[in-house]
Amino acid sequence: MWLYEKRLQFPINIKKTCPKTASLIISQFGGPDGELAASMRYLSQRYTMPCKEAGGLLTDIGTEELGHLEMICAMVYQLTKNLTAEQAKTAGFDAYYIDHTTALWPAAAAGVPFNACEFQSKGDAITDLHENLAAEQKARTTYDNLIRVIDDPDVREPLKFLRAREVVHFQRFGEALEKIKGTLDERNFYYFNPEFDKQMISKVR
Amino acid sequence: MADRNSLLQEINETSFMVNDLTLYLDTHPEDLQALEAFTQAAAQRKQLLEAYARDFEPLTMNCVCPDCNNQSQSNTRYPGKKHFTWCDGPLPWDNQV
Repeated sequence: MWLYEKRLQFPINIKKTCPKTASLIISQFGGPDGELAASMRYLSQRYTMPCKEAGGLLTDIGTEELGHLEMICAMVYQLTKNLTAEQAKTAGFDAYYIDHTTALWPAAAAGVPFNACEFQSKGDAITDLHENLAAEQKARTTYDNLIRVIDDPDVREPLKFLRAREVVHFQRFGEALEKIKGTLDERNFYYFNPEFDKQMISKVR
Repeated sequence: MADRNSLLQEINETSFMVNDLTLYLDTHPEDLQALEAFTQAAAQRKQLLEAYARDFEPLTMNCVCPDCNNQSQSNTRYPGKKHFTWCDGPLPWDNQV
């Protein structure tokens, strides 16, 4: 169950309409390393995670990612809400505008629609946590790329906040991975699947 | 009465502490220093949310109280009338002025 909180995790107040920037940032909504994929990845993986603490961490990080998704959508919305037809035509937003006007729809910067194939929920704790570590770094790289090409400080500040959160999540997933390894046979962590071959886990908590 | 934006800013900052400490405590559940910081920040957040709901709109369903919310009567379509105060206030994704 979730309880909505009527505020953004980090304030967003963009004054300048810029459909071009919106068309880049939208990738962190529906792109390959975006916040929608992140939240669905963690919230899907958690059910079979054999270590209770890792399951709890997936819930809490997955929940924060929903808040990040809301931030990205708020940014795209504010960047386009006063869009004129002329701007829609000339500023690299024309193809999106034709199909969605200025509504939010999850897609990558290059226009590819959101696809659940962007993430994995494999049913293997070691595999899934490695996937999550890579996902946090891929999202960080995407934020790095966005921050490099965007000048508006109203857009940069929330992007910098989101980038910093990827680094923290990476750290926490790394700790969860070490914790799970602590319950496995240290001679070969990959010899069996701790989510399925449960009898092989020595001290699950 | 506190200023809406500065109170909201305080809520954002305190909530961020609670959120970040939650993730840390998920992997360090016995860290006493972090537990103490969490307890303090969580209590402060509760107080701030209550203060904000009293002066302005409730930010969570747990703070909804038609008789005591939004005493500043700001951002409401029903000033002076008993109503569902969850509808008051700006939408989070709109520019805050």
